[in-house]
Amino acid sequence: MPETHSPPPATPHAMKRRDLLRGGALLAASVPAAGLLSACSPNRVAPAAGRPVRGGVLRVGVSGGSAKDTLDPHNPLSYPDQARVVNLYEPLFHHDAAYRLKPFLAESLEPSKDGRTWLLRLRAGVEFHNGKTLDARDVIATLRRIVDPKAPTAGATSLSVVDAGRLRRVDATTVEIPLKHPYALLKDLLAQYSLGIVPEDFDLRKPVGTGPFAYKSFAPGDRSAFTRFDGYWRRPAHLDELHIIDFPDDTAKINSLLSAQIHAIDNLPPAYIDMIEKQGGQVLISETGSWNPITMRVDTPPFKDVRVRQAFRLIVDRPQMVKQVLGGQGRVGNDLYAPFDVAYNSDLPQRHQDLGRARSLLKAAGQENLTVELVTSGGIGSGAIEAAQLFAQQAKGAGVKVKVRITDSATFYGDRYLSWPFAQDYWFTRNYLPQVDAGSLKTSPYNETHWNDAEFNTLMDRARRESDASKRNELLKAAQRTEYDRGGHIIWGFKNQVDAYAANVTGFTANRNLPLSNYEFRNVSVSG
Amino acid sequence: MAVFEVPRKATAGIAAAPAARRPRLRGALASGRTWVGGALTTLVTGVAFLGPFLAPHGENDIVGAPYSDSAPATLLGTDYLGQDVWSRLLAGGTWVVVTAVLATLLGMVLGVAAGLAAGYARGWADEVIMRVCDVILAFPQIVLVLVLLSVAGPERWLVVVVVGVSHAPRVARLTRGMTTGLATREFVQSAETLGESRTRILLRELLPNMSAPLLAELGLRLTYSVGLVASIGFLGFASDPSAADWGLMINENRLALAVQPWAILAPVLAIAVLALGTNLIADGISRAAAGADHTEGASS
Repeated sequence: MPETHSPPPATPHAMKRRDLLRGGALLAASVPAAGLLSACSPNRVAPAAGRPVRGGVLRVGVSGGSAKDTLDPHNPLSYPDQARVVNLYEPLFHHDAAYRLKPFLAESLEPSKDGRTWLLRLRAGVEFHNGKTLDARDVIATLRRIVDPKAPTAGATSLSVVDAGRLRRVDATTVEIPLKHPYALLKDLLAQYSLGIVPEDFDLRKPVGTGPFAYKSFAPGDRSAFTRFDGYWRRPAHLDELHIIDFPDDTAKINSLLSAQIHAIDNLPPAYIDMIEKQGGQVLISETGSWNPITMRVDTPPFKDVRVRQAFRLIVDRPQMVKQVLGGQGRVGNDLYAPFDVAYNSDLPQRHQDLGRARSLLKAAGQENLTVELVTSGGIGSGAIEAAQLFAQQAKGAGVKVKVRITDSATFYGDRYLSWPFAQDYWFTRNYLPQVDAGSLKTSPYNETHWNDAEFNTLMDRARRESDASKRNELLKAAQRTEYDRGGHIIWGFKNQVDAYAANVTGFTANRNLPLSNYEFRNVSVSG
Repeated sequence: MAVFEVPRKATAGIAAAPAARRPRLRGALASGRTWVGGALTTLVTGVAFLGPFLAPHGENDIVGAPYSDSAPATLLGTDYLGQDVWSRLLAGGTWVVVTAVLATLLGMVLGVAAGLAAGYARGWADEVIMRVCDVILAFPQIVLVLVLLSVAGPERWLVVVVVGVSHAPRVARLTRGMTTGLATREFVQSAETLGESRTRILLRELLPNMSAPLLAELGLRLTYSVGLVASIGFLGFASDPSAADWGLMINENRLALAVQPWAILAPVLAIAVLALGTNLIADGISRAAAGADHTEGASS
C-alpha cells in the first residue's frame, strides 16, 4: 500500500489521488454484503480471551505519517490520520467488520418518492466529548463544512450530489437532505470515515467529536494521545488512554513491537508473519477488497484492440501472483472489482493462464512479438513493482516482451498519470457503484483505462436511478460482464490486510475496512 | 648538428628520472597487501564474469515462496519474489564490475588530460579548467550522479559517463599538482629547449613520471566507482529493474533483513570484498610509490 513507503514529494494531483484512495475506502454498496467475514477469510484472529481488562494505555505503531499529519475529521491523508479520525469522530453510517452498511450516528435515512429529498433521523442522546448533545444543526454544519466551496475537503466530490444550501433542520434529530438529482446510494456516500460529524462550533485546535476516545495531545509526524470518553453512546472503551505513534519505516515499527515498546502495529509485511508468531506475538489477518490492477488504456494501441487486452488477461498466472507478490496473503481475482458487493458477478467463469490462447489472440491481432512498456512505481504501494516484474516474466511465455519502467511516485502520479498506456494502480475496498463512479466512467476522476463503453454507460445510468435493489443488481451484473469481456483492467487478486500485536493484547478481530480492526480500539484491552 | 647533440645527451641523462617508476611498481608487487587485494578483486571479478554461466537457476526463475531461507534446491534461499538468491548473486555482478571499471577509466583519462593541460599550460587555461573542476567538486559525488540520472533516465552508458565525469576533477587536481612540480624539472626544460612538441612532452616526459601515484589513484577511484555504481543500483537506477544487480538486490530485499538475511548479506559481501580488494591494490601501489619517493628524495 502506498503508506508503507515514506511519503513521496507529492504533486497536488498525487495528494488528491491519495485522498480518494483513503477517503473512499468505506464507500459501500446499496445493499448490505451477504457474506460473513468469519465464513470467508481470516485464518489467524485474536483468540477469545477472558474478560477484558479495564484501564491501561495502548500504544499503537501506525505506518507513515509526516509533518503534514492532521486531526481534521474531513481531510485524513495518511494511515495515522485515519487511525486518529476513526477514534475521535463518527459518520452517520458505517461499514461493519464484514463490510455491511450499518447506521451509526443516524438511525434511518429514507428517500422521498422521487428520490430527490431524503429524511435523516439521528440517534437520540449522543453526546460530544465536550458534553454537548448531538443536534440536527451539527449535521447540517458538518455537511456544509465538507462541501465548503472555499475549502473543499476530501469528501466534497462524493457529496457534490447534496444541495448543501437547502439542508433543513426539521427538529432536533431530523434533517431534510435535498439532492441536486435523484441518487439511490446516499447512505453509501455518507458511510465514509472521513465524514465524521462534528459540533456546529467545531475548532480544529480543540477537536471534539462523538468517538470513543477524546483528544489529549497531538504532535504531527510523531505521536498523538487520546483518553477514554466515558460519555460514549455505546459501551465505553476498556482502555484509559490510546497513543498513536507514527512509523514511516517498517523495520523500526516491527522492532518496536518485538521489543515491547508498542503493543500493536498495522501493515505487517507477510514475510514477518512466522517470525512474529515464533516470538510470541499475534498476527491479525483480514480479507479485504483492495486491488492492485494492471491498467491497459482501451483507446491506445496496442490495447485498443480488444484481442490484445484479452490476451494479456490470459497471460497472467493469478495463483502465482498471489503466492509470490502477496506472499500468499490474498486471493485470486477475476478481472472484476468490488468482491464484497452483493451484485458481484460470481457467475462469470474464473480466468486462468492460457498462454496458447493468448498467443493466438495476439497473432490474430497482428501483434506477435509485441514489446510494451509497463510503468510502475513504489509509490503505488507495496507489491506493485513486484507484480510488474512477475507479469513481465509471465508474458515471456506468450512471446510478449514487457519492459518494466520504475518511476518515482511524483513522476507516476504527475502529469502523465491517467495517460500511461500500460501501468498499474491501487484501490481500497469499495462496492461496485461507488467504484465505477471513481474509476470507470468517462467523467470519473481516475479512469486509468479510459473505459467508455456505450453499453456499460447505459447500464450504469439505469442502475443509478433504479430504486429496486434486485433489478439494480441485475443491471450491475450485466455491466460487469461488459468489463469482464472487454475491459482494460487486469485484476489478478485481492490483498489480505496483515497486522500484528503483542501477546498481552486482546480484542482485535478481522475487519474488511481499515487496518488493525478498522483502527477501532474500543474493544481492545491490555493486560500486564 | 653539434649544437643539437649536446642537449640530446643532456636530455638523455636527465631524462633518466622516469626510470625510477619501475622499482616503484616492483615494490608494489612485492607488497603482500597488493597480492591480497589482487586475489580478492580477481575472485569477485571472476564471480561477476563466470557466475552467469554457473548459476543453477535463471536470474528471474521463481523457485519458491518469497523470503524463504529453506526453499529446496537453493543455496542461499529466495528473495522478495521467490527468486534464487545464489543464482542472482552469480548473475548480478557483471553490471557493477563492468560499469565501475569503464567509469573509472573514463574518469582517469578525462582527469589526467585536464590536469596535464592545466598544470603545464598554466595561465588562463589552468584557471578555466580548475574552476570548472571546482564547480563539479562543489556537488557531492552521489548527488551529482543522481541528479543527472534522474533527468536523463537510467541508461547504462550514462551511468558510465556520469560516474566517470564525477571522478575527473579529483584526478585532475592530483595530476595538475604533480605536473606543476615536474614542469620545472630540468628534463622537461631540456625537452622544451629541444623543441619537442607539447603533446610529446606531456605524454612522454610528464605522464610516465606520475604513473605510480596515478595507478594508486586509479585503484582508489575504482573503489569509489564500485561504491557509487552499487549505490545507483540500490537507489533503483539500474537500466533493467528485473535484472539481477548487487546494489539493487540489497534494496529489493532490505525489508527482510531479519527473516532472510542472505538475500542482503550476499550482495553486500560481494560489493564489500570487491571494494576492499581494489582498495588494497591502490594502497599497495601508493605505499610503494611513497617509499620510492622517499628513497629518491633522500638520495638527491
